[in-house]
Amino acid sequence: MHPEMGAEIIYSFVIIICSLMVYFGTKELYELSSHKGIKYFRQAFLFFAIAYFFRSIIMYALFLFNFKEVLDISPMLIGEVTLFLFVYFSSMAVFSLLYSVMWKKWNGGSRKIYLFHFLAVIIAFLSLIPRSPALRFGLNILLFLIIVFTVYQVYREGKNRKKRSSLYAIYMLLFLFFLLNIFDILIPNFLTQFKLIIYLASITIFLLILYKVLKKT
Amino acid sequence: MTKRGKLEIRRDILNIIRDNKNSIKPTPLLRKSKLSSKVFQGYYSELIEKSLIQEVTSKNQETYVNLTEKGFRFLERYKAIVDFIEEFEL
Repeated sequence: MHPEMGAEIIYSFVIIICSLMVYFGTKELYELSSHKGIKYFRQAFLFFAIAYFFRSIIMYALFLFNFKEVLDISPMLIGEVTLFLFVYFSSMAVFSLLYSVMWKKWNGGSRKIYLFHFLAVIIAFLSLIPRSPALRFGLNILLFLIIVFTVYQVYREGKNRKKRSSLYAIYMLLFLFFLLNIFDILIPNFLTQFKLIIYLASITIFLLILYKVLKKT
Repeated sequence: MTKRGKLEIRRDILNIIRDNKNSIKPTPLLRKSKLSSKVFQGYYSELIEKSLIQEVTSKNQETYVNLTEKGFRFLERYKAIVDFIEEFEL
């Protein structure tokens, strides 16, 4: 196996396991409380797990089993479907995480979640447009800035900023590394030399969140 | 007195039932919960729907309210739920 593929698989595997541990670790708290914030928080990590599944595991399966010979489906088509699903689920993960901290402020209107699904589909479709790295880059930067601005607003209005600053720092870093991961997939040879650092930093962020979840459940 | 949150009200209702040897009629429960009849009805239906409480009819056809296993578990885990919500700003 190519070493880069090995690193990719281990990276995705760790993220998937962390995300699923967060999802299942908070199951009881949600079932007992039916709290909307917990619901969207859990959903975010389920979406992260699904997104990373499509990011690497399917690619690996294609590489390992040579689906072209087995199923007679064009690898190009499988690649595009996988890319669409990856971008859709990772966008939904970020939107759900954002919604989990914003739902009270937005008066709990669950219609926004449909808007997020719609936006995620649009973003996923745009990611399929060939030869448009500038558009992909711009779109994701814009998305990131909107998220950072929104989270910063909540942080600024929060009562106990000192206590909460570490959580917001973790969320900001999570969004940032999510963005770098999207670029890594969408734009060929983007930050190739920093790939391992991005992987390690992303894993650290997920482990930190998992630690915080396990400590509180 | 500060306004109670939804979770706090649910906990208070469940606590009242538990403190009455896990059996109370709906009317004294309403009175002890210090909620308006309309608001209480909303919480009451929700707690039944989520299987945190159950209605039991006695031999003399009177309705009593009991906590279910899930209701007891809610009270046990209440602090963890609130801590989690606060920790992640949910």
